[in-house]
Amino acid sequence: MDEKKYYLTKDGLEKLKKEYADLKNIKLAKTEGEVPKIWHSEDLNPEYLSFQEDLDFLNSRIAELEYILKNTEIIKVPSKDKKNTVGLGATVTLEEAGGRINEFTLVGSLEANPSLGKISNESPVGKFLLGHKLNDEVVITSPIQIIYRIKKIRYNLT
Amino acid sequence: MKNSLNFLIEANKLKEIPRTGWVLMKVKNPETIAEHIFRVVISAWVLGYLKKFNEKKLVKLALIHDIVETYAGDKTPFLYWEGLDRKKTEDEEVLLRGVRLSKEEKERRGEIKFQNEKNSLLKLTSFLNPSLGNEIFLLWFDYEKRISREGKFTKQIDRIETLIQSIEYFGSKKITGGTSWWEGTEEIVEDPMLLDFLHIIQNKFYGKNFPKNKELENILDFLLEIGKLKRMPRMYWILRGIKNPETVAGHIFTLTLMALIFGREKKQLNQEKLLKMALCHEITAICTGDTIPYYLDLPKSQKERNEVFKKLPRLLKEQKAKKFFIDYKAEKIAIKKITSKLDSSLRNEIIKLWEEYRTKSSPEGSFLSQLNVLAALLQGLLYQKKDKNFSVGALWEWAFEVCDDPLCIQLMDEMKRKLHRK
Repeated sequence: MDEKKYYLTKDGLEKLKKEYADLKNIKLAKTEGEVPKIWHSEDLNPEYLSFQEDLDFLNSRIAELEYILKNTEIIKVPSKDKKNTVGLGATVTLEEAGGRINEFTLVGSLEANPSLGKISNESPVGKFLLGHKLNDEVVITSPIQIIYRIKKIRYNLT
Repeated sequence: MKNSLNFLIEANKLKEIPRTGWVLMKVKNPETIAEHIFRVVISAWVLGYLKKFNEKKLVKLALIHDIVETYAGDKTPFLYWEGLDRKKTEDEEVLLRGVRLSKEEKERRGEIKFQNEKNSLLKLTSFLNPSLGNEIFLLWFDYEKRISREGKFTKQIDRIETLIQSIEYFGSKKITGGTSWWEGTEEIVEDPMLLDFLHIIQNKFYGKNFPKNKELENILDFLLEIGKLKRMPRMYWILRGIKNPETVAGHIFTLTLMALIFGREKKQLNQEKLLKMALCHEITAICTGDTIPYYLDLPKSQKERNEVFKKLPRLLKEQKAKKFFIDYKAEKIAIKKITSKLDSSLRNEIIKLWEEYRTKSSPEGSFLSQLNVLAALLQGLLYQKKDKNFSVGALWEWAFEVCDDPLCIQLMDEMKRKLHRK
């Protein structure tokens, strides 16, 4: 099976690296402390269960982050001849009939936040936009149809 | 996926079924079963936290404890009976006092209720995959028969929540508030901490002088605040002209149920965290009111608004970010205020859950925010089923922008197949 690629901005990568380091420290602190007893009278001690569950999720998130960090590809500004094409990291200005303007930045799934105008390349809208060029007409067919013209493509990556 | 959606659509009916006791007591626009469930879940969590019980189990138990009422209805055989006539003085008295029954009669009525509810649950869970259906059935059985300590605890919490609601509706005067809610509660509650909690309720509303307990007093105040969400209709539907729409509490119920069903299929996600995150994702509305993303200035007339709502607003990235940060800042202040009296560890947990959801900064936050959009889309499609002129275009657009998780996209496709009107 192909390994999944995770597309991140430099900023996004730094954040994940920090989360990874923080979780490793938390795990260390947790396992160095006193482990709750497994039995509480005749019942399984809920504190032990909770400790074990926390540890399981810590381990699973650490493993997930290790996998992501191993399979990360940094989003870069494309070469000059590709700057007029919508790719990851592009901020796309779209014009609709009537002159209404909408704007999105295409990011990888891990950094998507549509409320901030950052949509995932794996979302339906993201998929519709990818690969289109300046002045192209893009038809987004959710159950309702929206037609945009690509007015501007910018790459302002940090 | 098809079956999970059917389950959700059926369980969604709980947002429209008013609780029987309040209807009989002629409460105007009373809470629905879903709204009651919502505060039971929150109560089970925050009170169970003090007991160091298994919180994930408590949340699940409380969430499913009344879903049997989807088909069985909210029957109250121990308090009232079919055909009650409030015009008769004796029936009016029973409403305030509760009916008196022999042990045999209670057992007979209890058995009928149990069988009806069991059949209702089997019908409802038949939509789900057998493993999840069995889990829900066993949780309900645990609650109903009070098997585990969490099951016993949730049963008691259910009564206490109803008691608090009765006080909110009728006040504490015997003549209007009656005694039946107290009687029913005191027959069931046995946990020492919950008995203390009943004392705190008496101190607050009945001027009694039981020993003080600051921690429980704070939790009571928190739960009273939480209760406001049961009376808060969602702003988006109000602006869309929906009469008597779902409340914030009703929406939270749906989303938590979705977290239970779909979170289970995402093995890498922490299910307990996802459930709790769903529960507190919108409690900030207590202070901020229910806000809607993206929309900045809306026209005053309903006709013009209907036009605007046919699509999502077209905004520049900076405008989107500006609106987000305005809402985010207000909500951050709100979440801190709402939780300010809770134990610091519980408080921090709630704030962190809200933060991760709002900023999508964890896998659970990202997944839940997608489910949240789908919960709104589902509700919109169900409103459209009742009113063919109701447009869900903007909700489809929103879902198309937000969803990138394969499971969420699958659910969205299933909604399109089953509910979309061309």
